Amino acid sequence: MVEIVALSITVSLAATLVGAMLAVPGAFWIVYGRGKARYALLVVFNAGLGLPPVAVGLAIAFLFWRSGPLGRFDLLYTPLAMVIAQTIIVIPLIGSLAVVALRTLDVTLPLQLEALGIARSVRRRLLLREALPYLGASGLAGFGRAIAEVGAAQMTGGNIEGQTRVLTTATMLAVGKADFGLAFDYVAVLLGLMAVAGGAAVVLQARCR
Amino acid sequence: MPLIARNLSVARGGFRLDVPAVTADREGLAIVGRNGSGKTTLLLALQGLIPADGIVERPGRCAAVFAQPAFLRGSALWNVEVAARDRRRARSFLSDVGLEAAARVEAARLSSGQRQRLALARALAVEPEVLFLDEPFANVDADARVALRRLVREYAAARGCSVIVATQSYADVVALAGRVALLEQGRIETLIGVDALKAHPAPYLRALVREGEPSP
Repeated sequence: MVEIVALSITVSLAATLVGAMLAVPGAFWIVYGRGKARYALLVVFNAGLGLPPVAVGLAIAFLFWRSGPLGRFDLLYTPLAMVIAQTIIVIPLIGSLAVVALRTLDVTLPLQLEALGIARSVRRRLLLREALPYLGASGLAGFGRAIAEVGAAQMTGGNIEGQTRVLTTATMLAVGKADFGLAFDYVAVLLGLMAVAGGAAVVLQARCR
Repeated sequence: MPLIARNLSVARGGFRLDVPAVTADREGLAIVGRNGSGKTTLLLALQGLIPADGIVERPGRCAAVFAQPAFLRGSALWNVEVAARDRRRARSFLSDVGLEAAARVEAARLSSGQRQRLALARALAVEPEVLFLDEPFANVDADARVALRRLVREYAAARGCSVIVATQSYADVVALAGRVALLEQGRIETLIGVDALKAHPAPYLRALVREGEPSP
């Protein structure tokens, strides 16, 4: 159980961090950038909110299949493949929530900082600090989505005991074996983790006010 | 170095601003005009904060006080410190605007008048060569307004700073500027010295003077 919980947290946390590193700069570009191209990214973020994990799992499994385009990397059924899949799943959620977060800031704040002659890199840092509690909340939402998904984890990880078995895939297996007690245990832990993530998000957002 | 703008042109959502030439030196420039005449747009364009055609030559250190100041999360002191890059200097500027007692107060919790003062402290902390003010004292207490105008005037005189103020207040014009530009529908209709303000026939300028110096 401990191993499964640890891998679940590690994979989902890694996916969330990588997803945030990719999505947050995109959100900054959408909110503070210029030109219309940035709205295409917003469309990608918003459309991706409904992205079925099983579709992502299928794509990653196809890419990393032994005879697939990226098969030579031998990544299928590894935690890394699961991280890649979950990263793709969480990027739209983190990105769109980050856009909302940045838009809650006073829209003239970047302009007013610029009007004080504060360097662009410093302004970016200050705005990031300003939005951090909201961005943290979007990251926690991403973590919740990553750790709760099962389709991509199953297809890219293969639910190999001791290697790629996470809470959701372990639950599926337990139900398949009619071991409902174990399945409920896994789900209880999963719900507990999500509650912690949700509670942390609430605390972070409360600190913004 | 004075601020010099030539052939300045801005198009924003159906509004067009065209200013062939405007300069601001140590004597200060007041931009007056009705709501929607383009005062704020002109200020933003002069600062290079919005896309504009034309040429604007301005010194390296500029600062601005917006009509609705926005602040970073954190104390009043921290907000000035970001501009001043030094805590002790930040305290001194806070003290200049009468906010030393509110140094530890969250900027978001200050009253609108205090926020205007904080914005002024933050702008002065940059030690600007050109100071842009957009309705800077609109929400400030009447007695504090006098002191703050004096503070800006003395700062500008001591540092050789050019003040460009967009305002609807005759007192701001007289206290901070040597010249007045009347903006109407995105064009400078009149550019005169403050001395000539009272005698000018433009209805807006007459109303501005009349309100500033009401007859007994």
